[in-house]
Amino acid sequence: MRKHKADYFIVLTTLALMAAGLVMMFMIGPQRANFLNSALGYEKYSENFFFSRQLISVGVSIVAFIVAAKLPIKILHKYAKWILFLALGLNALLAILAAINSPLAVCQLGGCRWIGTAGVSFQPAELLKVALVIYLADLMARRKEEGKLESFADFWWPYILVCGASLFFVVVLQKDLGTGVALVAIMLATLFISGVPLRYFAAAVGVVLAAGIMSIVISPHRMERLSTFNGAGDSDSSYHIDNALLAIGTGGLLGVGVGNSVQATGYLPESVNDSIFAMIGEAFGFLGTTILMLAFMFLLMRLLKMIPLLDTEKGIMVAGIFAWIFAQVIVNVAAMTGLVPLTGITLPLLSYGGTSMMFVAFALGSALQISSFTARRSASSEDALLTRRTFSTSRSGAPSSSHSIHAEKLRGGER
Amino acid sequence: MKRVKFLRLCLVLAVAVVLARLFQIQILEHESYVAKAAAEHTSLYDIVAKRGEIYMLDGDEPVPVVLNTTVWTVVVDPQVVDREAVAEAMAKIDKARWTVESVDEIFEDLSRRYLIVAKNVPRSEYLAFSEIAPAGMYAQSSNQRVYAEGDLAASTLGFVNADGVGQYGVEGALDEELAGKNGVLKTITDVNKVALSIGDDNVRIPAEDGKNIVLTIDRNIQKKVEEVLRQHMNDLGISNGSAMVYDPNSGKVKAMVSFPSYSPADYGNVEDASVYVNDVLETPYEPGSICKGFTMAAAINEGKMTPETTYVNEGSTTVDNWQIDNADVTKQLGTITMRTALQWSLNTGSVQALRLLGGSVDSITQAGKELLYDYYYNHFGLGQATGIELYENVGTVVPADSEYAYNSTYANMTFGQGLDVTMIQVAAGWSSLINGGNYYRPTVIAGYVDKNGKYTAVAEEEPVRTGTVSPETSATMRGMLHDTRWWMGDPAEYYFGGKTGTAQAIRDGAYVMDEFVSGYIGFGGASQDRPEYVIIIKMWEKGRTTSSEEEVRPVFEDLKMWMIDYMRIKPNTTGGAE
Repeated sequence: MRKHKADYFIVLTTLALMAAGLVMMFMIGPQRANFLNSALGYEKYSENFFFSRQLISVGVSIVAFIVAAKLPIKILHKYAKWILFLALGLNALLAILAAINSPLAVCQLGGCRWIGTAGVSFQPAELLKVALVIYLADLMARRKEEGKLESFADFWWPYILVCGASLFFVVVLQKDLGTGVALVAIMLATLFISGVPLRYFAAAVGVVLAAGIMSIVISPHRMERLSTFNGAGDSDSSYHIDNALLAIGTGGLLGVGVGNSVQATGYLPESVNDSIFAMIGEAFGFLGTTILMLAFMFLLMRLLKMIPLLDTEKGIMVAGIFAWIFAQVIVNVAAMTGLVPLTGITLPLLSYGGTSMMFVAFALGSALQISSFTARRSASSEDALLTRRTFSTSRSGAPSSSHSIHAEKLRGGER
Repeated sequence: MKRVKFLRLCLVLAVAVVLARLFQIQILEHESYVAKAAAEHTSLYDIVAKRGEIYMLDGDEPVPVVLNTTVWTVVVDPQVVDREAVAEAMAKIDKARWTVESVDEIFEDLSRRYLIVAKNVPRSEYLAFSEIAPAGMYAQSSNQRVYAEGDLAASTLGFVNADGVGQYGVEGALDEELAGKNGVLKTITDVNKVALSIGDDNVRIPAEDGKNIVLTIDRNIQKKVEEVLRQHMNDLGISNGSAMVYDPNSGKVKAMVSFPSYSPADYGNVEDASVYVNDVLETPYEPGSICKGFTMAAAINEGKMTPETTYVNEGSTTVDNWQIDNADVTKQLGTITMRTALQWSLNTGSVQALRLLGGSVDSITQAGKELLYDYYYNHFGLGQATGIELYENVGTVVPADSEYAYNSTYANMTFGQGLDVTMIQVAAGWSSLINGGNYYRPTVIAGYVDKNGKYTAVAEEEPVRTGTVSPETSATMRGMLHDTRWWMGDPAEYYFGGKTGTAQAIRDGAYVMDEFVSGYIGFGGASQDRPEYVIIIKMWEKGRTTSSEEEVRPVFEDLKMWMIDYMRIKPNTTGGAE
């Protein structure tokens, strides 16, 4: 397949969303710093703390985006297993660090989710999202090629094992339901797009629902969030949702404007990270939230659009990326608007926090690269596999576009 | 690809639901959220006005005598503090300010979550304390009055109670003026209640600080009068005494004393709340023979007699079958002048003056009573509020047309019994008697000091009425009152006058012989033409006789020349005394 011009709408939208996050940090960062300082009793955070840290995050994320866009996608697939092992390994390491009460395990709100110190930290669960997308795409494409998607030993066993391990680390050990939701979205969307028969998919959804209900029932932390949502709670979560709604509602049509946010002065918890959407709602109103939602929808549409034009592996990968971002955006915004219970999930590309943004940027960089491998004249194509076969017959001899079915078949044959 | 289309449908539906929800929150329910936010974000604060300070005069210079300071009250929640830490923090506070006996006492009853352990902690101790105070132990600031001169003029100044409200004296009567007006701050605040400048609904009405009042009281005169009166009272062993120095030419109170006194800063530490009362203004009494001056002045002013008018003094006289004796029935018997009658303070003389006032030589007439009442009440202001800025009592003077206006009552009134008046009324009326007939409203306010420390004196008031007596009558009265002191040996280059007054106390509705209220009123100046000051003094003790001549007048004698010196009154070397 000849590599062609990538979908630069992805670049534009990504940058625009990052810029929106920066604007928000510039706007409410000083108030956040002031609030935290007064809680601490000393000037730990400077006025520009959140903006400058976010600027660094954006810089790092742009590098990650470029690296992902340039790094030949086949390399990712070649090392798919190893990336997954690394991600699971880091999560296991975090679990061990947390178990021995190491200061390197940074814990907050009942879960140990970061490795590092309070200053510089890394969230292994974020890496796991990327790793899972890459690995599942590789696994499913391979098994589909082999016609073994219905084989328990060859496909379901490793799929269940990997997904189970991931969710165990993230949801059970790290108590991070938000990331868990994103992981489940990735797992189900990749499965869905892989072309697995619907009855298998339905079974998977059933298992996820059952497990989800179980995990809520056995965790007091999550029961509380659920009871808050039902209006029964009188807790931090209910305070959080009330103030998120207050912020969004006060915004009105056009918002209170830059610098006039009152909810940012300490009323709204997590104003720079999980609650950034509510802050946007207050400052820029319905107009701002609508533009933001449409921007995300546009980005997600661009991702969906290319899936039918890609080979199986890339298609599944893009579906994974789509599901990841879609899940985070919808779950975050739905929680902020009181539609679903709070899960503690960031708004991709906007929320304060380096790890999350970096991996989302990396994923989108990959998607950008993949967008240059679409079959442009395949409006009638109904099946990615079909597309791939069509292209496999007209293989280009150029080494630079060596990402071909033959190369993959060869590699597959070597195993 | 159908499955991609399904995902697209999911995406579009999800975004549509979110946008619908946002429309609901941000557009449809916007107003209710704005109202809710305003309720949550808006705080109302009092901007506390600074209480005005009180100044006295030192000559012409105002000097502050009542100031403000910040003190702290220390509170403990025994459930959350550590005993060791509390002990350490409490050690920083002077034990005199502790409201508990010991640190152990704090922990005796853990249910008291808000236990005041120290009060009136000054800044230095507060700073030392707050450095090491553990959580659960905190200090609340409040304003406190500082009385720079201790208990000087306590009955005039009053005090400020624990609620910050002025009580008694200047603090009480002028509380509104001193307190100022608290301002209001209605503002959006952050979650820690720190005011924000966000929004345009913030309201700020600045506090109007209280006025800094300069009293007419002269600090030095006040100190001197207190010192002299206290000395005499101690020497005599008399419990109650009061005095006032008054400017007869303006109505300004220069000093005002009411003993026993108290410390305004420690106002709670008194045995009897009666010490708060300013006797000069608030305690009506019978001024006794001091009133003879008023009676004679009325008769002279009406042209019914002169100082040289004579009558026969028999030591006592009878009014409506009621015998009235002189204090000493053996003195000055026979035909004597009114001047002599006043000199010797003979009751027969003043009763005779009332008869003459009514146009009779041998009986008291209704016309005489009506004239006397007119002079007492309307001219000299006895039994009327003087209009001084402080609390005052009115007392009673029975009107001549009252059914209780017996001839005997009016006969008693001529020598200051059978009526209730205050020292301030007597001093103000008496001043008009000797200053040419001008009645000034008594005042304690000299002016105001603004926030930059600039003193502005209030304009001196015109007399509220002139002609209480004619200038001639006034001059005559000065002469007669001067003559009462003929045997004092006053220096000839100055001119003094005065009158004693003793009244029997009333017990169970009858005058008794074992308890007298004794007083003296006198004036001093360089010449006969112009008295410069008036001093009125009163002494009294329950169940004790006092003597105006022997015990009260000496106070005046100790003050008369000091006042001349202090006021730098130049001696009159031209005419000398009359």
